[in-house]
Amino acid sequence: MENHKTNWKPVLILGPLLVVLVALVIIFFTGGEREEVRRLEEFSVAKGQPAPGESAGSRTVTLFFLSDDDDLLHRESREIVAGPSAADEAERALAELVKGSEKNLVSPLPAETRIRQVFITKEGVAYVDFGREITEKFSYGSSSELAAIFAVVDTLTFNFKSVKKVAILVEGAEKETLGGHVDLTQPFLPDYSLVAK
Amino acid sequence: MDKIRRAPRSRLLIFPLFIAMLSLAAFPQAAGEPGVQRMKKVVIDAGHGGIETGAKGKLGNLEKDVTLSIALKLKALIEKNMAFQVVLTRDRDMDVSVETRSAIANNQKADVFISIHTNGSRLKAAEGSETFFLSTGETTDEETRRLAYLENNSSRLEDHMDKTSEQDVKMILWDMAQTAYIRQSSRLAEMIQAELNSLLGTRNRGIKQAPFKILTGVACPAVLIEAAFISNPGEERKLASERFQMSVAEAIYRGLAKYLQVYQ
Repeated sequence: MENHKTNWKPVLILGPLLVVLVALVIIFFTGGEREEVRRLEEFSVAKGQPAPGESAGSRTVTLFFLSDDDDLLHRESREIVAGPSAADEAERALAELVKGSEKNLVSPLPAETRIRQVFITKEGVAYVDFGREITEKFSYGSSSELAAIFAVVDTLTFNFKSVKKVAILVEGAEKETLGGHVDLTQPFLPDYSLVAK
Repeated sequence: MDKIRRAPRSRLLIFPLFIAMLSLAAFPQAAGEPGVQRMKKVVIDAGHGGIETGAKGKLGNLEKDVTLSIALKLKALIEKNMAFQVVLTRDRDMDVSVETRSAIANNQKADVFISIHTNGSRLKAAEGSETFFLSTGETTDEETRRLAYLENNSSRLEDHMDKTSEQDVKMILWDMAQTAYIRQSSRLAEMIQAELNSLLGTRNRGIKQAPFKILTGVACPAVLIEAAFISNPGEERKLASERFQMSVAEAIYRGLAKYLQVYQ
């Protein structure tokens, strides 16, 4: 009899533990799914909604081009089609930057440059994914590499409030540099020191 | 009698042994070469190389060739006039990755790192010389940046683990190394820029900070020199000449010598 009683002890301890374990497993899986769904929703909101204060139609953006007079970046205004998202507008602004100046200024990007995609995260990092032409169609020196990068960075941070930093990708992947100088592995804060006053 | 003599002798032997152990603990670097002070090292980096040509001149000169030529001249100058050992990141036309360049500097325990470049602009008229040291972005949050870096690179870290794991780990940890040397690097840049101005007669573009990949991982004072613009035909002609290349080497040498007087 005594032996029989002691045999029940582990069951009494392990039973509730098993129930708790099963409950935890259920919470783990269902909880995880719910979180994933929520994150996807946030993504689509971030990309689909026009930035506040930007109505449909067109909007003016400021682009940065090089000038032969002082080899600094100079501002030039341009009308682009507005919306629907800040990322769409950012893509159009960069396309204008590649297309070139209307005032005899020089684009800091190779004419063949292709913009594959712009994506803006909730945290305010704009990822600009360029085609390989941006590295292959020009042999950069430090000055031209800095100008190319900060014309892109400053154009996005200057015109889009939601953009705090800019990361540059090439063909969808992280690249060390465009031409052997400037580190592309960290996102850039704007640097207006290359811009004429 | 014998007993009395032996005791002090063994004590005499223990004492120097004790001193030696103490000094080994205090100066682990000197352990390999007892008695000899380690010769100071300058690592010179000739920008670009191999398929990576760097900037191209309109007359056909390539940045990688000019930088190598200047680097070799600078090496000869330093070895002739200073008790310094010089290590080049490349001594001929070859591909060397940016990471390998800073790894060479760190493996060699460089005391100074000098990267030589010639500049390039989309504007034909751009001219002059400038000296860069690293800009670090948000230096205030160094630890966060370091952690973020390690996190971002953990997959790359694992990829390399089975092969030459130790070296790769070191390379990755070095990525933030330069941040500790920013002030000395800026002094070195100032001193070299002053000599470039007086010896070359090129436009003074000053000292600047930029996030150059080559500088981020170097664990000693480090600068990147942009001697004139190879994209400017007038300056390209100069850069192609032995005389001008020699002046650039001389200017860097003088700036380095002044820096070493203060910081050695």
